[in-house]
Amino acid sequence: MNPTQERAIEKLLEKVEKPARYTGGEMNTQVRPWDEAELHFAFCFADTYEIGMSYLGMKILVSLINSLPYMSCERVFMPWVDFRAGLKAEHLPLFSLESRKALSEFDVIGFSLQYEMSYTNILDMLDLGGVPVRAADRGEDAPIVFAGGPCACNPEPLAAFFDAFQIGDGEEMMVEFLDTLRECRRQGLNKNDTLLRLSQIEGVYVPRFYQPEYNDDGTLSAFRRTDERAPETVRRRILKDFSNAFYPDTFPVPYTDIVFDRIVLEIMRGCTRGCRFCQAGMIYRPVRERSMERIIALAEQLEKATGYEEMSLSSLSSGDYSCLKELIVALMDRFQDKRVSVSLPSMRVDNLVKQSLEELSRVRKSGLTVAVEAGTQRLRDVINKGVTEEDVIRSVSDAFDSGYSTVKLYFMTGLPTETDEDLRGIGDLARKVVAAYYAVPKERRAKGLRVTCSASVFVPKPFTPFQWAAQDTIETVMEKQGRLREYLKTKGVTFNWHDSELSFLEACISRGDRRIGEVIYTAWQDGCMLDGWSEHFKYDTWLKAFEKCGLDPAFYANRERSYDELLPWAFIDMGVTQRYLQLENERAKQAKTTRDCRKGCNGCGLQRYEGLCNV
Amino acid sequence: MKMWLIMEKGARIRFIGHLDLMRTMQRALRRSGLPVRYSNGFNPHMLLNAAAPLSLGMPGLREVIEVPVGGDIAPEAFQERLNEALPPDLRCRAVRALPDEHPAPMAMLRAAQYLIELDGDDPGAAVCMSALPGMLAVDVLPAVRKTKTGEKPCDVRPMIYSAEILGPRTICATLALCEAGTLKPDLFLTVLARRAGVEKPGAFITRMQLYAMQDGALTRLEEA
Ligand code: SF4
Repeated sequence: MNPTQERAIEKLLEKVEKPARYTGGEMNTQVRPWDEAELHFAFCFADTYEIGMSYLGMKILVSLINSLPYMSCERVFMPWVDFRAGLKAEHLPLFSLESRKALSEFDVIGFSLQYEMSYTNILDMLDLGGVPVRAADRGEDAPIVFAGGPCACNPEPLAAFFDAFQIGDGEEMMVEFLDTLRECRRQGLNKNDTLLRLSQIEGVYVPRFYQPEYNDDGTLSAFRRTDERAPETVRRRILKDFSNAFYPDTFPVPYTDIVFDRIVLEIMRGCTRGCRFCQAGMIYRPVRERSMERIIALAEQLEKATGYEEMSLSSLSSGDYSCLKELIVALMDRFQDKRVSVSLPSMRVDNLVKQSLEELSRVRKSGLTVAVEAGTQRLRDVINKGVTEEDVIRSVSDAFDSGYSTVKLYFMTGLPTETDEDLRGIGDLARKVVAAYYAVPKERRAKGLRVTCSASVFVPKPFTPFQWAAQDTIETVMEKQGRLREYLKTKGVTFNWHDSELSFLEACISRGDRRIGEVIYTAWQDGCMLDGWSEHFKYDTWLKAFEKCGLDPAFYANRERSYDELLPWAFIDMGVTQRYLQLENERAKQAKTTRDCRKGCNGCGLQRYEGLCNV
Repeated sequence: MKMWLIMEKGARIRFIGHLDLMRTMQRALRRSGLPVRYSNGFNPHMLLNAAAPLSLGMPGLREVIEVPVGGDIAPEAFQERLNEALPPDLRCRAVRALPDEHPAPMAMLRAAQYLIELDGDDPGAAVCMSALPGMLAVDVLPAVRKTKTGEKPCDVRPMIYSAEILGPRTICATLALCEAGTLKPDLFLTVLARRAGVEKPGAFITRMQLYAMQDGALTRLEEA
């Protein structure tokens, strides 16, 4: 930025809400001086600072990239509307927090894909940063723009905007990616050759080397390579030695409040439960644990480096960590004098040990969260959610008994095979939870019972057994939510539900093909962005965008696919095989459960990789 | 024993609010492992005591924050260790050891010195600069102060200790800052602009120094 621009930024900062979002300088965020790095990486998060800074994957990767001696990695977030308007009015580019460089000045731009409804933000950020939004419009000198993260498992909706995708665990792939890029730069390779080299790295997908073809009914007829040197199947990258893989020994400490302002220790990756709706549970297989010694060592380093007073153990299902109790006790002993509390965010009800609850409440009493997902045992069997009513009641009773009075129950509506009985079941369960509270003697229970039932709308996701399923139409969803509201009219119970229109679009995009990219582009051109923020969500504009592109959203969201349909993400080998997903879908139809694969392998496909699953 | 930390809050972090800044200080003190004393009671916390919060958007060069300490430690060592634990835009410029009986910085604070840099491209800036001597020559300067209970008419002249012209667009003003009466640099500028008959110009304001009153004269708070 030149001095005039700097002054304009300072003026702008005085006028906007939460200016500290844009000023950086937080503890542990100092990077190499701009001129001392060979390659400059802009790590972009397509949502606001507070959300992005709470996201663990970003902390891991930014730290990893900065640990490479030739790299410098800076952060860029989606500006809030006021700042964005100011940037536009003053003709200022979107810039990085560390060195205030325009996005266009970077060599590599990496986006983390967390949520489909932030895709318009990606286009907006590129555009604000002075980078042509479409990959095809970016010349030889433009930055390489790529993406990774969970939503990259169906990259097709974004294929037009990205030069490459990283699919799977990033820790090793990122290093190979950047090493290769640097090598290509040194050799003076052009963009196409560079991308071809990158496509040889396991987990990397370069959309320009592939071309989809369609049938008259709109389904895919073929997905062909345009360059035979690119791999036919893109294999998801899987980290073998998770325990010793890179993990930051320092965390940035924001000045202002962010969503999760604490040390996060990822104790495990993957999940063995096999819930059939859960994409994370399928795409992060197999389960890999970090050793207790490593976790404790990291905890000590991070506590020293940050001064945080809270640390949380994170994974898809932390309760399954094999020596959880020992770990919690060890951490508590070590940090009690320092007044550091330890918490488990994603506690599962079915293995919630009363004792560890007591351990936790020694330091901090917050609410208990139980993901029940469905209202009847039958439907829970359909989705393979291994939680029974007894489990729920037992753990909320334990919680009430140990002094908790706030319980959150999470449900989903619109799951395959759902009937009215399943919806009524949600109401029944909520009432039983209330009864469990009153069953605890008055002297022992905490005052102010609050049971919150949240119902999200089921969104079928790629690489799950329900990837073929139809989502309920918006009308059906709203009608069901109305019924549920009736069933949940009980004192002490509050009911929250998700926006059905947002979930509908999420369903369109998450299982979208390459043509959806045009819809995203059109919606953005017509003013859609920050869609995840209800005050900015413009459903009608989205619908018009579909119309303009000649596409029917119901084709993507509400249509059941047959097994022989070529799915847009079928060229990716996620580890779990399509055959296994089919099998699981069939079992779901019969409400047959599948065991937790810690108890024995179910042959999901990961067994093809030697030494990955230790069952 | 307690320490007075003479802190610089850099321009980059001028938008960090007072509470966030205090939390940052607490975390830095935790990281440093310095022998800071905590409050007694169920939920022990650090007893940081700032002379006066900085307004949002204003850097401060010699802010005073008091912290009680338990062990025996030299001020120089304290400063060094604290600086190692602080982010680069928040610096500890000096540390002074004091007995617990010494009054709190807030109780001694009377005034602050501000560097007011008017925007060069603001047409009102030059007019304001030439109106300054005339404003200082009068005995009464009526203004309206916004307080929690509403707007109050007041005379701000006695709250201006001095105001000097340091450059073509730069004023250095020492203004009252204490419970008995505070004149914010922003209001100072409003009054000046009104006398000059122009819109209040944009300005970048830095708090340079804090003052106490000793023997009838302003003395640097950090030395008082
Ligand atoms: S291969 Fe077997 S053990 Fe490994 S993740 Fe799949 S089901 Fe579980």
